[in-house]
Amino acid sequence: MPMYKSPNVHGHGMNCGEHALQNGEVDPSLKALEERQDEVLRRLYELKATVDGFAKTVTTPDADLDASTPSPGPAESVFKGTADLDSLLGKDLGALRDIVINANPARPPLSLLVLHALLCQRYQVLSSVHVHSSVSAVPPPLLSCLGPRHIDSYARQRFQLGFTLIWKDVSELQMKFSTQSMCPIEGEANVARFLFRLLGAEPQDPAAATQMDCWIDKAVFQLSEGGSKDRAAVLRSLNAALGRSPWLLGQEFSLADIVCACFVLRAGQTTSAPVNVQRWLKSCQNLGHFDCVYPFLQ
Amino acid sequence: MTKENVQGAGEEEQQAQSKKALKKQQKEAEKAAKKAEKQAKLAAEQQETDEDDFAKDRYGICPMVQSQQKLDRALVRVQDLTPEKAEQQIWVRARIHTSRAKGKQCFLVLRHQQFTVQALLAVGERASKQMVKFAANLTKESIIDVEAVVKKVEQKIESCSQQDVELHVERIFVISQSEARLPLQLEDAVRPEGEGDEEGRATVNQDTRLDNRVIDLRTTTSQAIFRLQSGVCQLFRDTLINKGFVEIQTPKIISAASEGGANVFTVSYFKTSAYLAQSPQLYKQMCICADFDKVFCVGPVFRAEDSNTHRHLTEFVGLDIEMAFNYHYHEVIDSITDTMVQIFKGLRDRFQTEIQTVNKQYPSEPFKFLEPTLRLEYKEAVAMLKAAGVEMGDEEDLSTPNEKLLGRLVKEKYDTDFYVLDKYPLAVRPFYTMPDPNNPKYSNSYDMFMRGEEILSGAQRIHDAQLLTERAMHHSIDLEKIKAYIDSFRYGAPPHAGGGIGLERVTMLYLGLHNVRQTSMFPRDPKRLTP
Repeated sequence: MPMYKSPNVHGHGMNCGEHALQNGEVDPSLKALEERQDEVLRRLYELKATVDGFAKTVTTPDADLDASTPSPGPAESVFKGTADLDSLLGKDLGALRDIVINANPARPPLSLLVLHALLCQRYQVLSSVHVHSSVSAVPPPLLSCLGPRHIDSYARQRFQLGFTLIWKDVSELQMKFSTQSMCPIEGEANVARFLFRLLGAEPQDPAAATQMDCWIDKAVFQLSEGGSKDRAAVLRSLNAALGRSPWLLGQEFSLADIVCACFVLRAGQTTSAPVNVQRWLKSCQNLGHFDCVYPFLQ
Repeated sequence: MTKENVQGAGEEEQQAQSKKALKKQQKEAEKAAKKAEKQAKLAAEQQETDEDDFAKDRYGICPMVQSQQKLDRALVRVQDLTPEKAEQQIWVRARIHTSRAKGKQCFLVLRHQQFTVQALLAVGERASKQMVKFAANLTKESIIDVEAVVKKVEQKIESCSQQDVELHVERIFVISQSEARLPLQLEDAVRPEGEGDEEGRATVNQDTRLDNRVIDLRTTTSQAIFRLQSGVCQLFRDTLINKGFVEIQTPKIISAASEGGANVFTVSYFKTSAYLAQSPQLYKQMCICADFDKVFCVGPVFRAEDSNTHRHLTEFVGLDIEMAFNYHYHEVIDSITDTMVQIFKGLRDRFQTEIQTVNKQYPSEPFKFLEPTLRLEYKEAVAMLKAAGVEMGDEEDLSTPNEKLLGRLVKEKYDTDFYVLDKYPLAVRPFYTMPDPNNPKYSNSYDMFMRGEEILSGAQRIHDAQLLTERAMHHSIDLEKIKAYIDSFRYGAPPHAGGGIGLERVTMLYLGLHNVRQTSMFPRDPKRLTP
């Protein structure tokens, strides 16, 4: 209690509010004003984030981008479909379902690294990298290409899927899953098709699915295995298609973009690629899933 | 009768006598003449031989080496006879592997440990007929000193290890002669099984080999196997020392059976009896409680198991590890598997000669592994076996055939001959195994496999005296017998885990051999106590 009362310098005609102010309590009307101010500021920030997002969206056409999260990391999963793991991988017998990929360290399968990142967003994936005894040494970036070890990796059965990458002296990339009921799948593109199915994002429309396969085959046979003439031809096709739509299949990002972008990046000389191709590569980069690929490009 | 008649008769007699005598004399003279002729002939021949043996200083049997003199002579090893030494005159000490005369020539194959080289002795300026004959008659396995000139050959000598050179012998002396009859022929002992059956040539069965182990160990294959085994031991030690482990020695005469009563040898110990240690388990753990943190020991292990199988011995060499960890027993599994991988890498990189030598007689697939080592959980193994059609309970132990099948399934999927199986069911493990914290039916225990056969059984050990007592009682173990063991955990004990491997079994499986007696120098099993 104050010893004496001093005149109120704040104003005249105050009643109970006077005491409230001096005791630190807030006038309800002031409170309401503050709250309105906070609300306005918050909406301003939201708008700003949205506009920033749109700025990216203009160069990175993807309707599923969540524009209000200002995080610089990989965006939310671009594929929202569901896959029936039991029908694709066989009945769950209560143990980790481990996908094994044998790859040659001289030719890292870039598209599979991208798909791995996408799988990790959809499922609990236990990723491991091993070096097979047929190879004497492997450069360190290849050992950490699947990212840091998961904290829970000591408890295998907590994961829905295993992704085991083995660097081995093989002539052709190979995937093994259930050796009793599935034969091995060979070739980076074929394994990519299998993994893509696990994301439940295969185009339902047969025409689109065929077109996707077409682009993948172009990448494998002409970009990768063809001569410089073939490569130039593919780059021209890509440029033409990408002039008409943001992604190879139209409005939707798909496996065709993943595989073709990886093969184009691996072939090198992207700075001399046609305009639409360069823009498309930048969009891929902006999606964030291709971050794992860049350490392996010269 | 007249005197003249008697005289005449006497004369006749005398004449007859002298005739006889003459004849006798003649005969004797003839004999003597013949003898003299013969002797003369022999003498002449002898002279001839002596004259012809111009090489008699360059061969012979040396008197037994009793260190009569200290020769400063350098002896070149057979394995060092390469084209770089062409035209050099060198001395070699080796065994006679084979010797074969062909007219005026003698072909010898000289052997030292894993290496063989062809040697040639031909009648000529330097070698006499007698010398060549001497060489051809030398018994196999005799140890000889040879002075020779190293010569390059145009066509590779496929049957020898040194394929690009041969020796042209100048001098040849026997240091230690072998008896002519050998209990087994070395060339039979290295012949691959199939080849023996096909061509009707002999191979040597295992019992004969083991009965005459000294000779059997001389074969190129045996030399390679035991050199590689020495490498395993050395790599084990070197890797662990580099990881900061301390080597310890544990007692082998102990007062109580450590693993479980039945399979233990008893020895008389003054007025009472004692046992031969079945494993260094208890003492390794006591060392951890005594703050040594990371220990290993190499020593004999005795198991009185009446198992006559391809992979059991009553005495073998155990390589054991025990380690204190910070928070999770996987720290120990990682350490053990890394040690094994370093051993495999060391063998792959430094012992290729030995591996190829063994494969000549016992062909097998090269040993494959992953780094880091593959670790599967028991539940995954059960799932894999069930998918392959095996019917088994989730908490059932793996039978030997199931272990082998699992090994093949893992090989097919991951292409590795070495992996770890983690989280075994608690019921099938020893009493000192730490139970799983989340599921009481499982345990923090693991087995490691090579080519589908178990080589290591390990676990996190219970380091709490109270829990240990409970688990011992659950297994109906006499607490009095393990009082000293339980006491070691009463005064502060760190969490720890470990495991042990058998040197002979690991060598056998690495090389893809099929019987552990091939990798044990003087094996002990229920039927064999000697040599």
